[in-house]
Amino acid sequence: MIRKHNFKEIGGSVILYPNNYINDIEGEKLEEMCEAFLKKGVKKIVIDFSSTDLINSIGISILIGIIEKVKERKGAILFSGLKKVNHDIFNIVGLTRHIPVYKTEEEAVSDLKWEDHAAV
Amino acid sequence: MLEVDLSLERLLFNLNTLAELGEEITSPKDFTRVVKSSLYMVMGSFAASKGAIFQYDSEDQRFNAIAAKGLSDIKGAGFKLSKEAVKEIVKFNKPIDLKGDPAHAALLGPAKAELEKASARVLAFLVVKDELLGVISINEKFSGQDYTVYDFQLLSVMAQHISFSLHSHTLLTKLMHKYTENKGLYENLRRIYYDTIHAFAAAIDAKDAYTKGHSHRVSAYCTVVAREMGWSPDEIEGIRISGLLHDIGKIAVDKSIINKASPLTSNECRELNSHPVIGYEILSKIKFPWKGIPMMTRNHHEKVDGTGYPDRLKKAEIPLGARIMALVDAFDAMTTDRPYRPRLSFKEAMDEVRENFGKQFDPEVVQPFISVIRKEVLGEVENPSIVPLLQEHLDSVTVNRLLEGFPGIS
Ligand SMILES: [Fe+2]
Repeated sequence: MIRKHNFKEIGGSVILYPNNYINDIEGEKLEEMCEAFLKKGVKKIVIDFSSTDLINSIGISILIGIIEKVKERKGAILFSGLKKVNHDIFNIVGLTRHIPVYKTEEEAVSDLKWEDHAAV
Repeated sequence: MLEVDLSLERLLFNLNTLAELGEEITSPKDFTRVVKSSLYMVMGSFAASKGAIFQYDSEDQRFNAIAAKGLSDIKGAGFKLSKEAVKEIVKFNKPIDLKGDPAHAALLGPAKAELEKASARVLAFLVVKDELLGVISINEKFSGQDYTVYDFQLLSVMAQHISFSLHSHTLLTKLMHKYTENKGLYENLRRIYYDTIHAFAAAIDAKDAYTKGHSHRVSAYCTVVAREMGWSPDEIEGIRISGLLHDIGKIAVDKSIINKASPLTSNECRELNSHPVIGYEILSKIKFPWKGIPMMTRNHHEKVDGTGYPDRLKKAEIPLGARIMALVDAFDAMTTDRPYRPRLSFKEAMDEVRENFGKQFDPEVVQPFISVIRKEVLGEVENPSIVPLLQEHLDSVTVNRLLEGFPGIS
């Protein structure tokens, strides 16, 4: 089954909306999308999880893959819209220690803009 | 290594991963994908950013990379180990911490430097029946936190799961997939599940200073009663697992409440009594190869007269397994020391059972329970499970006298 992840580009940044599950190898599509955006020169990526119900250990390893790729290119990555169950998992594996998490996509975006200016 | 933080959320996350891993490796998906998924599950569990699985080729004693994540080109990557090192590693059969365990890390010889080049921090060797099949390597945690004792245990269990997968794949490629072989492997998988659950049961019991081994005893008692009642081997295995996990919900209950010597306040009581429902919620999310485990857990504090909790079910509404568990759970609680009282003697405990016969306890369960104890005391059972765990000696004369006139017992 092919599931497409949605996205929205705003200036030099992109907001990604993953599917409701990031729980198998198919989740790598998300990583590929990020890679493509990074190659295009996008420096800031917001991943909004508000319609994501389940992230399992495979999902975590894919997200870490994304974070590493963003870091390699000295970009910024932010998360938003995490449901409690997913936030708990991010806490357990220590992701929340390093990645800023916002309640809403808007909050993440506005912070992103700030970083944009700072980067100039 | 750090102290273990065994929060309910972590336990749930890890149990789910183990269940998914079990499902993945027995699925008919192609081998490459299974190996890749398995690697991702391991890496995700510890938030490692770099990892690889190597398959061992015993002919040229070389480990060849078959899956990797976070590492650039791994095609043709691999390393060699001496025969002696392989022997030692199989004997040790635990994950090797390249940083924290220099003695075992030294076994790797020149391969150690190569692995460290690939950022390896921990190696989990894949061994089935003393045969080395491969190794998983993962790097430091992304979070910067160190690996804990619990992490090493979990990694070891995951490695066993994956070994099983590699093993069956090797067997398949050798065209040895006879039905019996596969059946044996399936049994092996169940064994792995069982070992994992044992480890978690020990974690539950560890929370409660007074009930050391309670889960294991309840499991053992349930098993013999179910067997006496003529349950099938599969059903028996199910209740055995259930017995180990029946108090898993206590993980969410404050330790001070569990170990409190004075009477509980109504709030504390409510918190303690929530453990069957919490247990049910945890276990109903896991796909077990046996039926009924979540419900047996939920209803192990019901009473046949409908005054138990959480659902106030009456006799036939309570799953039979939960009725068995209710009896042996209470029996074990009575015959072991508690924070608020010393243990009762066997006679005193059986008096209690008699007192509550048909009220708290189901006569249909009490009867086989008594008959098993009697058989064990008379030496009619090969491997007695209840009597040796009691902290007193029982002889046949005393037991017969004690059980005499028990309602419904001839
Ligand atoms: Fe209980």
